[in-house]
Amino acid sequence: MATASISLRDVGRTFGATRALAGVDLDLKPGVTGLLGPNGAGKTTLLRLLATALPPSQGQLSVLGLDPEVPAERTGIRRQLGYLPQEIGFPRGFTAFAFVDYIALLKEWTQPAARHAEVRRVLDLVGLSDLGTKRIRAMSGGQRRRVALAQALLGSPRVLILDEPTTGVDPEQRVTLRTVLAEIARTSIVVLSTHQTEDVAALCERVIVLDRGRVRYDGPVTELTGQAAGRVWLADEPDPAAKVSWRTGTGRYRNVGGRVRDGVEHVEPSLEDAYLLLRGGSPEPETTQEVAS
Amino acid sequence: MTATLTFGPTATSPGRATLNALAARELRRFVLSPVFLLGVVLAEWTTWTGGGGTTTEIDEVNGYPAVFLGGFGMMAAYWLTRSMRASEPVVGVTPVTRAARTAALCWVAIVPLSCGVLTLFGMLHSYPVGDAVYGPFSPSARIAVLVAQIVLPALGGPLLGVALGRWVRFPGAAFVLFLVIFGWVELVTILAMWHVNSALVAVLRLFSPFAFFTLQSDFGGVTAWRGSPWFFIGWQLALCAIAILVALLRGAEGRTRSRIIRALGVAGVAAVILLVLAGLGGFTHTLTA
Repeated sequence: MATASISLRDVGRTFGATRALAGVDLDLKPGVTGLLGPNGAGKTTLLRLLATALPPSQGQLSVLGLDPEVPAERTGIRRQLGYLPQEIGFPRGFTAFAFVDYIALLKEWTQPAARHAEVRRVLDLVGLSDLGTKRIRAMSGGQRRRVALAQALLGSPRVLILDEPTTGVDPEQRVTLRTVLAEIARTSIVVLSTHQTEDVAALCERVIVLDRGRVRYDGPVTELTGQAAGRVWLADEPDPAAKVSWRTGTGRYRNVGGRVRDGVEHVEPSLEDAYLLLRGGSPEPETTQEVAS
Repeated sequence: MTATLTFGPTATSPGRATLNALAARELRRFVLSPVFLLGVVLAEWTTWTGGGGTTTEIDEVNGYPAVFLGGFGMMAAYWLTRSMRASEPVVGVTPVTRAARTAALCWVAIVPLSCGVLTLFGMLHSYPVGDAVYGPFSPSARIAVLVAQIVLPALGGPLLGVALGRWVRFPGAAFVLFLVIFGWVELVTILAMWHVNSALVAVLRLFSPFAFFTLQSDFGGVTAWRGSPWFFIGWQLALCAIAILVALLRGAEGRTRSRIIRALGVAGVAAVILLVLAGLGGFTHTLTA
């Protein structure tokens, strides 16, 4: 089996007058790639393009060597795709098992015995093996999220697109999920969007930062974190020279970026520090931009 | 959680097997729908407990199966079609196309169709074909009336529900359509009572998925209205085809879309011709027997 790959060349997407994504060039290989960016940066739009849920307005997109614009090839992509959207509703009356089983059927698992075994496997992976017969509407938000995640894992897809997979999931499950994704990423392309920088730091070897529909950073997580080295320090008061400051649990202030004074107490930067620094120290969400007329 | 990760088998089943399995799944969901189950119970109850001697003409009882199997079946199929809408972000990126999913949904109509056939036999049991309640229609035309009033509404209702579910977002759309059809049938029937021999009114009366064919005469006996039940069956079948095509059109692209639109054109023309023939054929004026 050839190595899985995804290629984007000058890919853009507009919604009316709003440009959600512009001139994106990327090559994705097996491994976990994290997508970071403020709200409205274009993360979900990019993931929907990769998941064939949305066609690009411009540029060339190739997933596993197939063109999603061609219906037959799009079906070929979908046979090897797992997708967890940011938001998903569930039909009334469905249990977790019934829902994942239904999706498995739509993923062409026609043999009942094999399909049921696969459904049990993915429910087990997300820690829901004991809740298979529980109605989804009676589940907590985190459990529902895991049901949605389970369907994405069906068939161990070669391309796994996850839009905020850990939202509402408890820390223990998040750790387990990281293990599962790391295992899948040995042979598959896993792209996940999240606001949890610790998930990206713990799981991803590569991170893409999107801002206003454009790629702001694309490279190893360690390299991005390294960019903040020597620019993060602790102080008893917020430093007016820093770009961002906030009070930590110890009562001291963490200062990031800006003018670093001599003699400050430097600390090891986190991915979050580096991300904030890259964003110019602005923790405020940005919105998608209007297409220039 | 103690799961170990094992890679699942690659699903490479051909489309036909997937469609069959999906149709079977949707069929099971449809059959378990409380609305449909209620419709079946009421339809069979009104049919098999009929024939007590109080019925003077067949149209007194034929409307019930149409309402319970066709009307309730339409609402059940509509809700079934809509049920997966919330999950569309996931369902929409599976290898099974929307057209295939729609086709699987259309297959559920086979259940109410079967119930319709069963009801037809029940009706024949309660009201044998030689019974006076059928009025002046020939024996074969009497069967045609029963097929048009019981079997085909049972088939067409759910198909209409699927088409509606594919295109309309309003949750109560099927119920509203049910009321509209019910009201229309009542309206044109009253109109037909005033203009019993009008060809135009006959066409208008038959411009519906369901129509009455007989009326109790004021002077005793049963009056048959003008119009051909045979061509009316053709019109109903054309409506069924249109419902399927309209449902399939949603989400279709490229050559498939062009083909569906062409087929819709053909079905539309056929429907118009059959409607006109239904209105102008058969008895050319009311007849009482």
